Amino acid sequence: MDDRLSKEEVLHVAELARIAISESELEKYQIQLKQIMDSVDKIKEVEVDDDQMLIANWSAPTKLREDVEGKMLSPKEVINNAPRHSGNYIEVPVVIGEEA
Amino acid sequence: MSKYIPTIGVEVHVELKTNTKIFSNSINGYGEMANSLTNVIDLGYPGTLPTLNKEVLNLAIKAATVLNCKIRREMHFDRKNYFYPDNPKNYQITQSRTPIGYDGYVEVEVNGVKKKIEIEEMHIEEDTCKSTHRGTKTLLDFNRAGVPLIEIVTKPCMNSGEEAKAYLEKLRELLFYTDVSDCKIEEGSMRADANVSIRKNESDPFGTKAEIKNIGSITNVAISINKEIERQTKIYDSGETFKPQTRRYDDKLGDTVLMRVKETGNDYRYFPEPDIPFVYVTDEMIENVVKTIPMLPDERRKVYVEKGVSEVNANKLVQNRALSDYFNELLNENTNLKIASNLLLGDISGYLNKNEKTITETTLTKERFLELINRMEDNTLTSKNLKDILDKILEETVSIEEIIKTSGIENITDDSAIRDVVKSVIAENPGSVEDYKAGHDRAIKYLMGQVMKASKGSANPKIAMDILVEELQ
Repeated sequence: MDDRLSKEEVLHVAELARIAISESELEKYQIQLKQIMDSVDKIKEVEVDDDQMLIANWSAPTKLREDVEGKMLSPKEVINNAPRHSGNYIEVPVVIGEEA
Repeated sequence: MSKYIPTIGVEVHVELKTNTKIFSNSINGYGEMANSLTNVIDLGYPGTLPTLNKEVLNLAIKAATVLNCKIRREMHFDRKNYFYPDNPKNYQITQSRTPIGYDGYVEVEVNGVKKKIEIEEMHIEEDTCKSTHRGTKTLLDFNRAGVPLIEIVTKPCMNSGEEAKAYLEKLRELLFYTDVSDCKIEEGSMRADANVSIRKNESDPFGTKAEIKNIGSITNVAISINKEIERQTKIYDSGETFKPQTRRYDDKLGDTVLMRVKETGNDYRYFPEPDIPFVYVTDEMIENVVKTIPMLPDERRKVYVEKGVSEVNANKLVQNRALSDYFNELLNENTNLKIASNLLLGDISGYLNKNEKTITETTLTKERFLELINRMEDNTLTSKNLKDILDKILEETVSIEEIIKTSGIENITDDSAIRDVVKSVIAENPGSVEDYKAGHDRAIKYLMGQVMKASKGSANPKIAMDILVEELQ
């Protein structure tokens, strides 16, 4: 078994996470990510016949909320927590065409 | 149309008409000041936890029911992971593996042919924030973040733009009538994407797919799909191929334009949302929701026609839900529904449009409307005279009889007397009636003379003439 992921696999993950990585980081992550994957593979060996186990360790139903409005933040509070804003809008660098 | 068979599937996002958002108790609203309808959950702040809104579940059950879907009784949510500023959590909470509704259908009719449009699945998810691109900046408004959505996905079972259009019209009608959504495409509360491919034979695998995104109106759905079929046909005809791609419809161009080519499939790395335990749908929940479903549009059209309303009027009534709801109140009354539908869609609609009112904002109670219908039916009020007193009928609360008496419209109450005279003149002069029907204008003048003579000159000539023409029809 390989001790590392391929460069392409790591670059793909980096692309999905929108992060730039250097050549030396690439090499490091090839090994580290593989170690994480191996750990996950170990967990996958556990036999579970109940699909529920994968989501929550209890079967109690989720608590539903009544459709009643509560306290909201003011636009000022919202923009105060943003690095940049334009009027009441939060401002970010332009990114087009990658909406879900 | 061509030697290719088009295959179309449609995905529709619909915003649910709740008071609050899907996972937080901030207001679900539209058109408010930017970032004024949010809280820490909508903004995806660390440490916050989502709690599912009960009403979202109810509306989703309702939608699934009217779309003839099977309803899943045990479900969970999933995280769809992607990095984009419209979602600072870096994942959208959706249902990937356990959609609440599946295996449904709606029936549509295109050019007289009925077809079942099959629904693959219907799931619940959260809307993202609205981003507006301005030069080198993108502006974010989180009022839309966390607005509850249902996404309804059809099977690739349609073959033309017209079928897709009919499906969307039917979908909108059903969800609007059941108060699941206000379905305003122009405000983005209903958004449609279409997947289009073509192939030569039924036995061939599906052709390369183009996805047309965010089409701005139902009419444009039909146009853009047909344009896309045309484009793909030309490509294959010239022996070329194309890559899977995303396109959008350009209203000004009247055609689809390329947004991006999909080199690889999406990689959203779905996994179960650990913050929301299982959701169970009980029989009781479904029963309570089903109770709130009103008579649906197709049923209304059927009942109206059975009760004597013309098909044209039945359709027009259903297109206006306020009028249709009002009309439904009359269904069990012993009255002339044909006249009722003519009145509502004619003069009364004219008044409502002019005054920007809905029928329930007028003073026309059911009792007064029934009185009005009776007056019209026994001709003690003519269409012409109705126009003169319509404003009073719709703005005052006194009886129709009182309005007629006090309105000072002469001869109104004599109409039935004039009509009696007219009827006897017609009965006594079959030769002139025949002449009139054969197109001899002079005959009506003769008949009119006889009416005036018989009434000893007391009939209002204008009204008498109207009645005479009416009776001769």
